[in-house]
Amino acid sequence: MGGRHGLHVWENSLPVAFETLDTSAVARTLSQIADRPDDLADAYFERLEEVELPAEGDPPGFRVRREEGLAVRLVRGPEAWLAARDTIAPEELADAVRQVARALPPAAYPAPHLAIEPWPALPAPAELADLPLAVSRAIRSRHAAFPLRLAVRRHRRDVQVVSPTLVPAAEHEGFFSLAAELPWGSWGMLAPDVSGALDGSEPSGTARGRARGEEAAVVAVAETAAEALVERFRCRQAPPPAARRAAVVLGPHAAAVFLHEAVAHALEVDTLGLTGRPEGALGLAMGPESLSVLDDPATAPASVRRRSDDEGSPVVRRWLLRQGTVEQPLADRAWSRGSEVLEPGAGRRASRHEPPGPRSSHLELVPGDATDQDLLDGADAGLWVAEADRGRLDPLSGRFVLEVPCARRIRSGGKADPIGRFVLVGTVAELVERVVAIGCEPVATGAGWCAKGGRRLPVWATAPALLLDGVEVAPC
Amino acid sequence: MLSRAQETLDAVASRGFSRAEVYAKRGRSRLVELTPRGTVASVHREEGWAVRAGDDRGSMMAAATGELPPVGGMGEWPEADGDALELPAPGRVAPDGVAPWRAPADLEAPLVGEREAVQVLAVLAATLEQELPGARLLRATLADGASEVAVTNSLGLSAAYRHRVAHLRAEAAVPGARTGRPATAVVEDVVREARRIDPRALARRLADRLSVGRDGRPPERDRLPMLLAPAVVVRLLEGLLPLLVGPHGFELASRQEDRQGRFASPHLTIRDDGRLEGGVLAAPADGEGVPTGPVTLVDAGAFRQPLLAWSQCRQDGRGRVGKKGGERPARGRPIGCARRASWRDLPRPAPSHLYVAPDPEVAVRSLLASLARGVYLLDADGAGRFDFREGRFDLPVVGFAVADGAATRPLAGARITGAIGTLLRGIEERGRDLTFLPAAGGLLGAPTLLVTDLEIVPR
Repeated sequence: MGGRHGLHVWENSLPVAFETLDTSAVARTLSQIADRPDDLADAYFERLEEVELPAEGDPPGFRVRREEGLAVRLVRGPEAWLAARDTIAPEELADAVRQVARALPPAAYPAPHLAIEPWPALPAPAELADLPLAVSRAIRSRHAAFPLRLAVRRHRRDVQVVSPTLVPAAEHEGFFSLAAELPWGSWGMLAPDVSGALDGSEPSGTARGRARGEEAAVVAVAETAAEALVERFRCRQAPPPAARRAAVVLGPHAAAVFLHEAVAHALEVDTLGLTGRPEGALGLAMGPESLSVLDDPATAPASVRRRSDDEGSPVVRRWLLRQGTVEQPLADRAWSRGSEVLEPGAGRRASRHEPPGPRSSHLELVPGDATDQDLLDGADAGLWVAEADRGRLDPLSGRFVLEVPCARRIRSGGKADPIGRFVLVGTVAELVERVVAIGCEPVATGAGWCAKGGRRLPVWATAPALLLDGVEVAPC
Repeated sequence: MLSRAQETLDAVASRGFSRAEVYAKRGRSRLVELTPRGTVASVHREEGWAVRAGDDRGSMMAAATGELPPVGGMGEWPEADGDALELPAPGRVAPDGVAPWRAPADLEAPLVGEREAVQVLAVLAATLEQELPGARLLRATLADGASEVAVTNSLGLSAAYRHRVAHLRAEAAVPGARTGRPATAVVEDVVREARRIDPRALARRLADRLSVGRDGRPPERDRLPMLLAPAVVVRLLEGLLPLLVGPHGFELASRQEDRQGRFASPHLTIRDDGRLEGGVLAAPADGEGVPTGPVTLVDAGAFRQPLLAWSQCRQDGRGRVGKKGGERPARGRPIGCARRASWRDLPRPAPSHLYVAPDPEVAVRSLLASLARGVYLLDADGAGRFDFREGRFDLPVVGFAVADGAATRPLAGARITGAIGTLLRGIEERGRDLTFLPAAGGLLGAPTLLVTDLEIVPR
């Protein structure tokens, strides 16, 4: 694509904001407050950019938001202190260090030089314009037309974490989000990478080749979006199903939401900590042997791939469930200190103003051997769920609700008539136990925005379809 | 801050934008949180700004952290695109009968200290345990913050004001008596200054709410007089917001009228007031610099208008047909009600202090005493469902069965349901205990209400 109307997404060749930051000086400053053996201190530097092309008729017609700031944290035993600023400046860092130390030192804390890269040039509106156009084209190609208000946002985030003993490389993320308003509800998706040139390394190939790759990626995102939007259009007046137990096939997108809500949230150590010791969950048989679920930020799509988490810990390939048994819950540094079994590496921050917490980044469901047709054949008179809007987990009771905007009845091994909005309900344990078959074709997808505790983070997944048997279905 | 905003406005205008607005906000806050792992104490300094600018051919928004500069972190201003930008002009919204603004006297009070805040939460936790052995706090947060805002636009509208808000939220659980499933409850309090929070009173409320959830049983389906505590009425108000805010409200409200054209009981008056005396979010102007003031939405049972911003009404009072979402003409009186969740966000019409007017003569005790047989519902137990097309609602609740003015047994696993019109017209009396709770980005307030003709059913 390229040129004026190219969708210039995340170019890994762009300088990361914090590559020139004097991390050694910051580490030396932090070492002055981490003065007990078990103290955990870190500084978190963040730069965010969000560029938005809103829906037509919703001025301002082009929006740019840029943020940068820092946070200093000290964890000592069960207590933690955090000081956050909306500026990256030496005196602000020194002041934040003083605030978390909660002491007036005999001499002021050093204010290390904090040189960071200047902001890159502003994008032009045209750089985002192709995606909504491609979605419109993809909808028309499906012989559908309906009122649609579509907004597109490009998100970029640079992160640098520094602690007295650990200074990982700066991290960057880039992705797109689409949000649509329809007469029958709203819809959204995340697209990690619409650049064909992006493979996690330096861009290669000719400019024309990269442009073709980008164009193909834009079309792929638009096709996914159009598929979901047209399905909602076709199901808009469909009646909800009667309350009953049914076989349900979750398509890859719905399976991603299900795994995020039912498995990842249930195995976050702060969730487990509400009802007892998180370590107590290890070894718990939660699902069938065919079910293995991992969180691996290092295998996420290239533009959101991570080597370290938002606390600077190296990310790990974490088996949440191995053959149906809990192996390693999601943990951050604060929870894993003093534990012989909990591993850090899953600490995420929604912003510098929030303390880190254990969250998933990129879930993987290990594929099974069932084809889509096998799954449909195994769910006769059941439901095919392509997408789920959201899930809700009650951490105390384990009760789980998955909201489904629309679905298709399964008849004679095929997808039949549409049905309207409903929910799947049950406890996490019950729902996970009901997984009877797993598809063989994993799809990389955005699981969506996770807003646990009001802290909003993008989450990703690579999942095949899933067949659950005898799940409780209830109309909304 | 206002003079810096004016400098930035000049810089934007010099780039050829015929209409522009500059909004700047800075604040500081302290937050203490009790979590399952321990205590987190944090201090925050936040500062950011937003510029909206454009002409007849397009518009843009630029927003960034840090101090207001002429150009700032943008390096240059973004290109304008899309639709033209409209901004409010002075005098376009004439707040008739609005009292002159008097800044609250307690804006200067220092933020709560870390030890004070920890102590508040510790007292809350200890009192809860005393009141209801076995109950425990799952999470509790005390936030105390102060902020200042400046907004100015190229049409000559300017305002500067300050806010001071403290918010406590506590969530607790107690093991279930019968099912083994734990009962949970949440209490919140919003005041101007954290030192006014009474942790013991909140702990007692939490304990009451938990014990009802633990010991309560589902009711039989019945149609009974109901005493609805403020927490329940606020959740009902929240569900009714589509007809109370924005131009669609006229149409949605007319659908709820009965054959005689009655919208609600004469006991129902609903107002919004952005400069409510003593209101925690009170300010002289909204997020676009438009003067705030009181507006009556429902007047003794008659629907007057929804809450409308200047952009949703024509100056001639006939209203406009907006492009966004197919807005219908709005014929009401606009008022400053454009709220910004932060400097990052665009102003959106929203309530600041939207409340059901209380009756200062009526004590809740007398309302309870008047109840020969009915229910006293203390709190909502989840989100409600409001279907304006069908005109029906449904809200999960907990409370007590009442006989001869006294509670007889706790109720849980219940919901109240009925026609929205029946709810509005079934209000028989209202108490004097006006209570505000955070909802919909602002505060919603209500006293206890006595309502008839609704059904209570098991969930």
